[in-house]
Amino acid sequence: MGREKSRRLSGCRDFRQRLVLATLTSTPITIKDIRAGEGGLRPHEMSLLRLLDKVSDQHVIDVNDTGTKVGYRPGVVVGGKGLEHDCGVHRGIGYFIEPLLVLGLFARSPLSIRLKGITNDTKDPSVDAFRMVTLHMLKHFGVPLDGLELKIESRGSPPRGGGEVLLRVPNINNTLKAVNWIDEGMVKRIRGVAFSTNVSPQIVSRIFYAARGLFNKFIPDVHIFTDHRAGGLSAGYGVSVVAETTTGCLISADATVSYPNVDEMSEESEKPELMSPEDLGEQVASMLLEEVAQGGVVDSIHQGLLFMLCALCPPDVSKVRVGQLTPRAIESLRNIKEFLDVKFIIKPDPNSNTVTLKCVGAGVKNLARKIS
Amino acid sequence: WKKSLLARTLARRSASLMQLVYGQASAELDNDSGEEDSSDEEIFVPKGQKKQVKNELPSFDDIDAEDYSKFLKVELRDWSNEDLIKSIRDRFVTGDWSKASVRGR
Repeated sequence: MGREKSRRLSGCRDFRQRLVLATLTSTPITIKDIRAGEGGLRPHEMSLLRLLDKVSDQHVIDVNDTGTKVGYRPGVVVGGKGLEHDCGVHRGIGYFIEPLLVLGLFARSPLSIRLKGITNDTKDPSVDAFRMVTLHMLKHFGVPLDGLELKIESRGSPPRGGGEVLLRVPNINNTLKAVNWIDEGMVKRIRGVAFSTNVSPQIVSRIFYAARGLFNKFIPDVHIFTDHRAGGLSAGYGVSVVAETTTGCLISADATVSYPNVDEMSEESEKPELMSPEDLGEQVASMLLEEVAQGGVVDSIHQGLLFMLCALCPPDVSKVRVGQLTPRAIESLRNIKEFLDVKFIIKPDPNSNTVTLKCVGAGVKNLARKIS
Repeated sequence: WKKSLLARTLARRSASLMQLVYGQASAELDNDSGEEDSSDEEIFVPKGQKKQVKNELPSFDDIDAEDYSKFLKVELRDWSNEDLIKSIRDRFVTGDWSKASVRGR
Protein backbone atom coordinates (compact mmCIF):
# COMPACT_ATOMS: atom_id res chain seq x y z
CA MET A 1 0.00 0.00 0.00
CA GLY A 2 1.33 3.40 -0.92
CA ARG A 3 1.79 5.96 1.73
CA GLU A 4 -0.46 8.45 -0.01
CA LYS A 5 -3.37 6.09 0.33
CA SER A 6 -3.44 6.29 4.08
CA ARG A 7 -6.21 8.22 5.79
CA ARG A 8 -6.02 10.66 8.63
CA LEU A 9 -9.14 10.88 10.72
CA SER A 10 -9.95 12.60 13.93
CA GLY A 11 -12.20 11.79 16.82
CA CYS A 12 -13.43 8.48 18.04
CA ARG A 13 -16.82 8.47 16.41
CA ASP A 14 -17.64 5.46 14.27
CA PHE A 15 -14.55 3.84 15.64
CA ARG A 16 -15.73 0.35 14.81
CA GLN A 17 -16.89 1.13 11.34
CA ARG A 18 -13.72 2.95 10.44
CA LEU A 19 -11.58 0.07 11.61
CA VAL A 20 -13.68 -2.42 9.66
CA LEU A 21 -13.66 -0.40 6.47
CA ALA A 22 -9.95 0.24 6.79
CA THR A 23 -9.33 -3.47 7.18
CA LEU A 24 -11.46 -4.48 4.23
CA THR A 25 -9.91 -1.92 1.92
CA SER A 26 -6.38 -2.39 3.34
CA THR A 27 -6.13 1.31 3.97
CA PRO A 28 -3.82 2.39 6.76
CA ILE A 29 -5.49 4.92 9.03
CA THR A 30 -4.41 7.31 11.69
CA ILE A 31 -7.02 8.58 14.08
CA LYS A 32 -5.97 11.55 16.16
CA ASP A 33 -7.63 13.82 18.72
CA ILE A 34 -9.51 11.03 20.41
CA ARG A 35 -11.21 12.60 23.40
CA ALA A 36 -8.39 15.05 23.88
CA GLY A 37 -8.31 16.04 27.53
CA GLU A 38 -10.72 13.31 28.54
CA GLY A 39 -8.40 10.38 28.73
CA GLY A 40 -8.32 9.19 25.14
CA LEU A 41 -9.50 5.72 24.33
CA ARG A 42 -12.03 4.10 26.62
CA PRO A 43 -11.57 0.54 27.88
CA HIS A 44 -14.10 -0.86 25.42
CA GLU A 45 -12.26 0.66 22.50
CA MET A 46 -8.98 -0.77 23.71
CA SER A 47 -10.72 -4.09 24.05
CA LEU A 48 -11.92 -3.81 20.47
CA LEU A 49 -8.38 -3.17 19.29
CA ARG A 50 -7.21 -6.25 21.19
CA LEU A 51 -9.97 -8.25 19.56
CA LEU A 52 -8.88 -7.00 16.14
CA ASP A 53 -5.37 -8.03 17.08
CA LYS A 54 -6.62 -11.52 17.85
CA VAL A 55 -8.40 -12.16 14.58
CA SER A 56 -5.86 -10.68 12.20
CA ASP A 57 -2.26 -11.09 11.22
CA GLN A 58 0.52 -8.93 9.76
CA HIS A 59 -1.09 -5.78 11.00
CA VAL A 60 0.30 -2.91 13.04
CA ILE A 61 -1.67 -1.23 15.79
CA ASP A 62 -0.03 1.69 17.46
CA VAL A 63 -1.56 3.62 20.34
CA ASN A 64 0.25 6.58 21.86
CA ASP A 65 0.81 6.99 25.59
CA THR A 66 -2.22 9.11 26.31
CA GLY A 67 -4.50 7.06 24.09
CA THR A 68 -5.49 10.01 21.97
CA LYS A 69 -3.94 8.72 18.77
CA VAL A 70 -4.25 5.38 17.06
CA GLY A 71 -2.33 4.25 14.04
CA TYR A 72 -3.58 1.14 12.27
CA ARG A 73 -2.09 -0.63 9.30
CA PRO A 74 -4.38 -3.51 8.37
CA GLY A 75 -3.06 -6.94 7.67
CA VAL A 76 -4.97 -10.09 6.85
CA VAL A 77 -8.01 -11.23 8.78
CA VAL A 78 -7.24 -14.82 9.60
CA GLY A 79 -10.21 -15.85 11.70
CA GLY A 80 -9.68 -19.21 13.31
CA LYS A 81 -11.24 -21.57 15.77
CA GLY A 82 -11.31 -21.68 19.53
CA LEU A 83 -10.68 -18.00 20.05
CA GLU A 84 -11.77 -16.29 23.21
CA HIS A 85 -12.23 -12.68 24.14
CA ASP A 86 -13.27 -10.96 27.30
CA CYS A 87 -15.36 -8.00 26.23
CA GLY A 88 -15.21 -6.31 29.59
CA VAL A 89 -18.11 -4.67 31.33
CA HIS A 90 -18.09 -1.27 29.69
CA ARG A 91 -20.13 -2.14 26.66
CA GLY A 92 -22.29 -5.07 25.69
CA ILE A 93 -21.15 -7.96 23.56
CA GLY A 94 -23.26 -6.49 20.76
CA TYR A 95 -20.69 -3.76 20.38
CA PHE A 96 -18.09 -6.37 19.44
CA ILE A 97 -20.26 -8.70 17.39
CA GLU A 98 -21.17 -6.10 14.82
CA PRO A 99 -17.66 -5.51 13.43
CA LEU A 100 -16.73 -9.16 13.93
CA LEU A 101 -19.53 -10.34 11.67
CA VAL A 102 -18.31 -8.31 8.73
CA LEU A 103 -14.65 -9.10 9.34
CA GLY A 104 -15.42 -12.78 9.77
CA LEU A 105 -16.98 -12.96 6.32
CA PHE A 106 -13.77 -11.72 4.77
CA ALA A 107 -11.43 -13.87 6.83
CA ARG A 108 -9.06 -16.61 5.74
CA SER A 109 -10.74 -19.37 7.68
CA PRO A 110 -14.10 -19.63 9.43
CA LEU A 111 -14.24 -17.72 12.67
CA SER A 112 -15.34 -19.26 15.90
CA ILE A 113 -15.00 -17.13 18.98
CA ARG A 114 -16.26 -17.17 22.53
CA LEU A 115 -17.19 -13.74 23.80
CA LYS A 116 -17.62 -12.98 27.48
CA GLY A 117 -19.25 -9.99 29.06
CA ILE A 118 -22.61 -8.27 29.07
CA THR A 119 -25.09 -9.95 26.77
CA ASN A 120 -27.95 -7.49 27.12
CA ASP A 121 -27.72 -3.83 27.91
CA THR A 122 -29.38 -0.58 27.04
CA LYS A 123 -26.81 0.75 24.60
CA ASP A 124 -26.05 -2.09 22.26
CA PRO A 125 -28.31 -4.45 20.36
CA SER A 126 -28.90 -7.54 22.44
CA VAL A 127 -27.47 -10.90 21.52
CA ASP A 128 -31.03 -12.09 20.83
CA ALA A 129 -31.44 -9.40 18.20
CA PHE A 130 -28.26 -10.62 16.53
CA ARG A 131 -29.38 -14.19 16.64
CA MET A 132 -32.89 -13.56 15.38
CA VAL A 133 -32.33 -10.73 12.92
CA THR A 134 -28.78 -9.86 11.96
CA LEU A 135 -27.70 -13.38 11.05
CA HIS A 136 -30.74 -13.77 8.81
CA MET A 137 -30.01 -10.46 7.18
CA LEU A 138 -26.68 -11.79 5.95
CA LYS A 139 -28.55 -14.54 4.13
CA HIS A 140 -29.86 -12.02 1.63
CA PHE A 141 -26.30 -11.23 0.63
CA GLY A 142 -25.50 -14.81 -0.26
CA VAL A 143 -23.74 -15.77 2.94
CA PRO A 144 -23.95 -19.53 3.53
CA LEU A 145 -26.18 -20.29 6.47
CA ASP A 146 -24.30 -23.30 7.78
CA GLY A 147 -21.61 -22.19 10.11
CA LEU A 148 -23.37 -18.93 10.87
CA GLU A 149 -24.42 -19.22 14.44
CA LEU A 150 -24.68 -17.40 17.71
CA LYS A 151 -25.10 -19.56 20.74
CA ILE A 152 -26.05 -17.93 24.01
CA GLU A 153 -24.47 -20.01 26.74
CA SER A 154 -25.14 -17.77 29.68
CA ARG A 155 -26.44 -14.28 30.16
CA GLY A 156 -25.02 -11.31 31.92
CA SER A 157 -26.48 -7.93 32.70
CA PRO A 158 -24.69 -4.76 33.64
CA PRO A 159 -22.90 -3.83 35.81
CA ARG A 160 -20.97 -7.06 36.32
CA GLY A 161 -21.74 -9.09 33.22
CA GLY A 162 -20.77 -12.72 33.30
CA GLY A 163 -22.52 -13.72 30.11
CA GLU A 164 -21.01 -15.89 27.44
CA VAL A 165 -21.84 -16.42 23.78
CA LEU A 166 -20.28 -18.46 21.03
CA LEU A 167 -20.17 -16.78 17.64
CA ARG A 168 -19.41 -18.66 14.45
CA VAL A 169 -19.05 -16.88 11.15
CA PRO A 170 -18.35 -18.64 7.83
CA ASN A 171 -16.25 -17.11 5.05
CA ILE A 172 -17.63 -16.04 1.77
CA ASN A 173 -16.13 -17.62 -1.32
CA ASN A 174 -15.31 -14.54 -3.26
CA THR A 175 -17.74 -11.68 -3.00
CA LEU A 176 -21.16 -11.02 -1.55
CA LYS A 177 -24.24 -10.97 -3.73
CA ALA A 178 -25.98 -7.75 -4.71
CA VAL A 179 -29.53 -7.43 -3.40
CA ASN A 180 -32.74 -6.01 -4.65
CA TRP A 181 -34.60 -5.80 -1.42
CA ILE A 182 -37.40 -3.30 -1.43
CA ASP A 183 -40.52 -5.28 -0.70
CA GLU A 184 -41.15 -4.93 2.99
CA GLY A 185 -44.31 -7.04 3.03
CA MET A 186 -46.77 -7.23 5.87
CA VAL A 187 -46.15 -8.32 9.40
CA LYS A 188 -47.34 -11.89 9.81
CA ARG A 189 -46.08 -12.82 13.24
CA ILE A 190 -44.21 -11.55 16.21
CA ARG A 191 -41.62 -13.55 18.06
CA GLY A 192 -39.37 -12.68 20.91
CA VAL A 193 -37.29 -13.69 23.86
CA ALA A 194 -37.73 -12.36 27.35
CA PHE A 195 -34.94 -13.07 29.79
CA SER A 196 -34.09 -12.50 33.38
CA THR A 197 -30.95 -13.06 35.38
CA ASN A 198 -30.78 -13.36 39.10
CA VAL A 199 -34.35 -12.17 39.68
CA SER A 200 -37.66 -13.93 40.15
CA PRO A 201 -38.72 -15.96 37.09
CA GLN A 202 -42.19 -14.44 37.33
CA ILE A 203 -40.84 -11.18 36.01
CA VAL A 204 -40.36 -12.73 32.59
CA SER A 205 -44.01 -13.62 32.25
CA ARG A 206 -45.05 -10.18 33.45
CA ILE A 207 -43.03 -8.64 30.63
CA PHE A 208 -44.55 -11.06 28.19
CA TYR A 209 -48.17 -10.34 29.17
CA ALA A 210 -47.70 -6.58 28.97
CA ALA A 211 -46.11 -6.78 25.53
CA ARG A 212 -48.66 -9.21 24.20
CA GLY A 213 -51.50 -6.99 25.36
CA LEU A 214 -50.35 -4.32 22.97
CA PHE A 215 -49.48 -6.63 20.09
CA ASN A 216 -52.76 -8.49 20.19
CA LYS A 217 -54.56 -5.37 18.99
CA PHE A 218 -52.84 -5.98 15.66
CA ILE A 219 -52.10 -9.62 15.29
CA PRO A 220 -52.90 -12.82 17.17
CA ASP A 221 -49.73 -14.70 16.28
CA VAL A 222 -47.47 -13.52 19.07
CA HIS A 223 -45.09 -15.78 20.86
CA ILE A 224 -42.39 -14.71 23.25
CA PHE A 225 -40.05 -17.33 24.58
CA THR A 226 -38.88 -17.06 28.10
CA ASP A 227 -35.34 -17.57 29.20
CA HIS A 228 -34.72 -17.47 32.89
CA ARG A 229 -31.22 -17.87 34.22
CA ALA A 230 -30.92 -18.42 37.92
CA GLY A 231 -27.24 -17.56 37.99
CA GLY A 232 -25.60 -14.50 36.59
CA LEU A 233 -23.53 -11.95 38.39
CA SER A 234 -25.99 -9.06 38.24
CA ALA A 235 -29.73 -8.72 38.39
CA GLY A 236 -31.51 -7.67 35.25
CA TYR A 237 -34.32 -8.43 32.86
CA GLY A 238 -35.17 -7.53 29.34
CA VAL A 239 -36.91 -8.54 26.15
CA SER A 240 -36.19 -8.58 22.43
CA VAL A 241 -39.05 -8.78 19.96
CA VAL A 242 -39.01 -9.38 16.23
CA ALA A 243 -41.75 -8.80 13.68
CA GLU A 244 -41.57 -11.15 10.69
CA THR A 245 -43.13 -10.02 7.46
CA THR A 246 -44.58 -11.99 4.57
CA THR A 247 -41.49 -11.24 2.48
CA GLY A 248 -39.08 -12.43 5.13
CA CYS A 249 -37.99 -9.09 6.50
CA LEU A 250 -37.24 -8.99 10.19
CA ILE A 251 -37.78 -5.92 12.27
CA SER A 252 -36.58 -5.91 15.83
CA ALA A 253 -36.65 -3.91 19.01
CA ASP A 254 -35.17 -4.66 22.38
CA ALA A 255 -34.89 -3.19 25.82
CA THR A 256 -33.22 -4.17 29.06
CA VAL A 257 -33.57 -3.06 32.63
CA SER A 258 -30.62 -3.32 34.96
CA TYR A 259 -28.45 -1.26 37.22
CA PRO A 260 -26.23 1.19 35.32
CA ASN A 261 -22.88 0.00 34.11
CA VAL A 262 -19.52 0.86 35.58
CA ASP A 263 -18.99 4.08 33.66
CA GLU A 264 -22.15 5.70 34.91
CA MET A 265 -22.06 4.15 38.32
CA SER A 266 -19.36 6.47 39.55
CA GLU A 267 -21.35 9.58 38.69
CA GLU A 268 -24.31 8.76 40.85
CA SER A 269 -23.71 6.54 43.80
CA GLU A 270 -27.38 5.99 44.51
CA LYS A 271 -29.11 3.10 42.84
CA PRO A 272 -31.84 4.46 40.62
CA GLU A 273 -35.42 3.29 40.55
CA LEU A 274 -35.84 0.59 37.94
CA MET A 275 -38.61 0.29 35.41
CA SER A 276 -41.26 -2.30 36.21
CA PRO A 277 -41.60 -5.38 33.97
CA GLU A 278 -45.04 -4.21 32.82
CA ASP A 279 -43.69 -0.85 31.70
CA LEU A 280 -40.77 -2.55 30.01
CA GLY A 281 -43.09 -4.85 28.07
CA GLU A 282 -45.19 -1.97 26.93
CA GLN A 283 -42.17 0.10 26.04
CA VAL A 284 -40.64 -2.57 23.90
CA ALA A 285 -43.94 -3.23 22.16
CA SER A 286 -44.27 0.47 21.38
CA MET A 287 -40.72 0.52 20.08
CA LEU A 288 -41.46 -2.35 17.74
CA LEU A 289 -44.69 -0.79 16.51
CA GLU A 290 -42.79 2.44 15.95
CA GLU A 291 -40.28 0.54 13.81
CA VAL A 292 -43.07 -1.10 11.86
CA ALA A 293 -44.70 2.27 11.29
CA GLN A 294 -41.40 3.58 9.93
CA GLY A 295 -41.34 0.97 7.23
CA GLY A 296 -38.31 -0.36 5.41
CA VAL A 297 -36.85 -3.83 5.11
CA VAL A 298 -34.69 -3.50 8.23
CA ASP A 299 -35.09 -1.70 11.53
CA SER A 300 -33.18 1.38 12.54
CA ILE A 301 -30.47 -0.61 14.33
CA HIS A 302 -29.44 -2.42 11.17
CA GLN A 303 -29.46 0.43 8.67
CA GLY A 304 -25.73 1.09 8.92
CA LEU A 305 -24.81 -2.55 8.53
CA LEU A 306 -27.19 -2.94 5.59
CA PHE A 307 -25.56 -0.06 3.73
CA MET A 308 -22.13 -1.38 4.44
CA LEU A 309 -22.99 -4.82 3.06
CA CYS A 310 -24.54 -3.23 -0.04
CA ALA A 311 -21.40 -1.23 -0.64
CA LEU A 312 -19.19 -4.29 -0.31
CA CYS A 313 -21.14 -6.15 -3.00
CA PRO A 314 -19.71 -6.80 -6.48
CA PRO A 315 -20.28 -4.03 -9.03
CA ASP A 316 -23.98 -4.68 -9.49
CA VAL A 317 -26.83 -2.45 -8.54
CA SER A 318 -28.17 -3.03 -5.05
CA LYS A 319 -31.44 -1.50 -4.09
CA VAL A 320 -32.85 -1.37 -0.58
CA ARG A 321 -35.66 0.37 1.19
CA VAL A 322 -35.43 1.72 4.71
CA GLY A 323 -37.45 3.95 6.99
CA GLN A 324 -36.21 7.33 8.10
CA LEU A 325 -32.42 7.46 8.07
CA THR A 326 -30.89 7.47 11.51
CA PRO A 327 -27.95 9.76 12.33
CA ARG A 328 -25.76 6.71 12.52
CA ALA A 329 -26.88 5.49 9.11
CA ILE A 330 -25.95 8.87 7.67
CA GLU A 331 -22.53 8.59 9.27
CA SER A 332 -22.18 5.13 7.76
CA LEU A 333 -23.01 6.44 4.32
CA ARG A 334 -20.27 9.04 4.70
CA ASN A 335 -17.72 6.55 5.92
CA ILE A 336 -18.60 4.24 3.06
CA LYS A 337 -18.09 7.03 0.58
CA GLU A 338 -14.76 7.90 2.09
CA PHE A 339 -13.31 4.41 2.20
CA LEU A 340 -15.02 2.55 -0.60
CA ASP A 341 -15.92 5.48 -2.80
CA VAL A 342 -19.45 4.21 -3.14
CA LYS A 343 -22.11 6.87 -3.33
CA PHE A 344 -25.70 5.89 -2.80
CA ILE A 345 -28.56 7.40 -4.71
CA ILE A 346 -31.10 8.29 -2.08
CA LYS A 347 -34.70 8.76 -3.07
CA PRO A 348 -37.55 9.50 -0.70
CA ASP A 349 -40.76 7.67 -1.40
CA PRO A 350 -43.65 9.93 -0.42
CA ASN A 351 -46.15 7.15 -0.93
CA SER A 352 -45.00 5.20 2.09
CA ASN A 353 -42.69 7.69 3.80
CA THR A 354 -39.69 5.48 3.26
CA VAL A 355 -36.37 6.01 1.54
CA THR A 356 -34.95 3.91 -1.28
CA LEU A 357 -31.23 3.69 -1.67
CA LYS A 358 -29.39 2.44 -4.71
CA CYS A 359 -25.72 1.84 -5.13
CA VAL A 360 -23.17 0.06 -7.25
CA GLY A 361 -20.99 -2.05 -5.01
CA ALA A 362 -17.25 -1.63 -4.70
CA GLY A 363 -16.62 -5.31 -5.38
CA VAL A 364 -14.61 -6.07 -2.29
CA LYS A 365 -13.25 -9.59 -2.58
CA ASN A 366 -12.22 -12.00 0.07
CA LEU A 367 -8.53 -12.04 -0.77
CA ALA A 368 -7.53 -13.65 2.49
CA ARG A 369 -9.23 -16.93 1.77
CA LYS A 370 -7.02 -19.86 0.99
CA ILE A 371 -7.54 -21.38 -2.41
CA SER A 372 -7.60 -25.10 -2.02
CA TRP B 1 -50.03 19.71 -14.17
CA LYS B 2 -50.37 18.17 -10.78
CA LYS B 3 -48.15 15.32 -11.81
CA SER B 4 -45.36 17.57 -12.97
CA LEU B 5 -45.58 19.50 -9.74
CA LEU B 6 -45.29 16.32 -7.75
CA ALA B 7 -42.34 15.15 -9.79
CA ARG B 8 -40.59 18.46 -9.27
CA THR B 9 -41.10 18.41 -5.52
CA LEU B 10 -39.87 14.87 -5.42
CA ALA B 11 -36.74 15.73 -7.34
CA ARG B 12 -36.03 18.59 -5.02
CA ARG B 13 -36.57 16.52 -1.95
CA SER B 14 -34.30 13.74 -3.08
CA ALA B 15 -31.61 16.26 -3.96
CA SER B 16 -31.81 17.73 -0.50
CA LEU B 17 -31.58 14.31 1.09
CA MET B 18 -28.46 13.53 -0.92
CA GLN B 19 -27.07 16.87 0.13
CA LEU B 20 -27.90 16.19 3.71
CA VAL B 21 -25.93 13.00 3.62
CA TYR B 22 -23.06 13.85 1.33
CA GLY B 23 -23.03 17.64 1.28
CA GLN B 24 -20.85 18.05 4.29
CA ALA B 25 -18.93 14.91 3.61
CA SER B 26 -16.87 16.75 1.04
CA ALA B 27 -15.98 19.33 3.65
CA GLU B 28 -14.85 16.52 5.88
CA LEU B 29 -12.60 15.15 3.18
CA ASP B 30 -10.85 18.50 2.81
CA ASN B 31 -10.47 18.58 6.51
CA ASP B 32 -8.61 15.33 6.54
CA SER B 33 -5.96 16.42 4.07
CA GLY B 34 -5.38 19.89 5.43
CA GLU B 35 -5.62 21.53 8.79
CA GLU B 36 -8.48 23.87 8.07
CA ASP B 37 -11.19 24.17 10.63
CA SER B 38 -14.45 22.49 9.83
CA SER B 39 -16.37 24.66 12.22
CA ASP B 40 -16.89 27.48 9.73
CA GLU B 41 -18.40 25.01 7.29
CA GLU B 42 -20.82 24.02 9.94
CA ILE B 43 -21.99 27.60 10.43
CA PHE B 44 -23.13 28.16 6.88
CA VAL B 45 -25.92 25.73 6.37
CA PRO B 46 -28.94 26.55 4.24
CA LYS B 47 -31.85 27.69 6.31
CA GLY B 48 -34.24 24.83 5.79
CA GLN B 49 -31.54 22.25 6.05
CA LYS B 50 -30.32 23.47 9.36
CA LYS B 51 -33.66 22.91 10.94
CA GLN B 52 -33.75 19.38 9.65
CA VAL B 53 -30.26 18.75 10.89
CA LYS B 54 -31.25 19.94 14.31
CA ASN B 55 -34.23 17.67 14.40
CA GLU B 56 -32.54 14.55 13.22
CA LEU B 57 -28.95 14.77 14.21
CA PRO B 58 -28.41 15.85 17.75
CA SER B 59 -24.72 15.03 17.83
CA PHE B 60 -23.97 16.03 14.30
CA ASP B 61 -20.59 17.72 14.55
CA ASP B 62 -19.31 15.92 17.60
CA ILE B 63 -16.19 14.09 16.46
CA ASP B 64 -16.07 12.15 19.68
CA ALA B 65 -19.64 10.94 19.54
CA GLU B 66 -20.17 7.60 21.20
CA ASP B 67 -20.44 4.67 18.85
CA TYR B 68 -23.96 3.35 19.30
CA SER B 69 -25.87 1.43 16.71
CA LYS B 70 -29.02 1.50 18.73
CA PHE B 71 -30.97 4.59 17.96
CA LEU B 72 -33.04 5.63 20.91
CA LYS B 73 -36.14 7.58 20.17
CA VAL B 74 -36.76 10.31 22.65
CA GLU B 75 -40.47 9.91 23.02
CA LEU B 76 -42.63 6.92 22.33
CA ARG B 77 -46.17 7.45 21.26
CA ASP B 78 -49.01 5.81 23.07
CA TRP B 79 -49.87 2.85 20.90
CA SER B 80 -53.13 2.06 22.60
CA ASN B 81 -54.51 5.13 20.86
CA GLU B 82 -57.10 4.13 18.22
CA ASP B 83 -55.89 6.60 15.57
CA LEU B 84 -52.35 5.36 15.80
CA ILE B 85 -53.51 1.78 15.59
CA LYS B 86 -55.43 2.61 12.46
CA SER B 87 -52.40 4.27 10.87
CA ILE B 88 -50.38 1.07 10.75
CA ARG B 89 -53.20 -1.43 10.59
CA ASP B 90 -52.41 -2.20 6.96
CA ARG B 91 -48.83 -3.11 7.72
CA PHE B 92 -50.11 -6.33 9.30
CA VAL B 93 -51.55 -9.37 7.57
CA THR B 94 -54.76 -8.74 9.46
CA GLY B 95 -55.16 -5.45 7.58
CA ASP B 96 -56.16 -4.57 4.05
CA TRP B 97 -53.94 -6.41 1.58
CA SER B 98 -54.75 -4.28 -1.44
CA LYS B 99 -53.72 -1.11 0.33
CA ALA B 100 -50.47 -2.71 1.36
CA SER B 101 -49.62 -3.69 -2.19
CA VAL B 102 -50.16 -0.11 -3.32
CA ARG B 103 -47.65 0.98 -0.72
CA GLY B 104 -44.98 -1.33 -2.05
CA ARG B 105 -45.02 0.31 -5.45
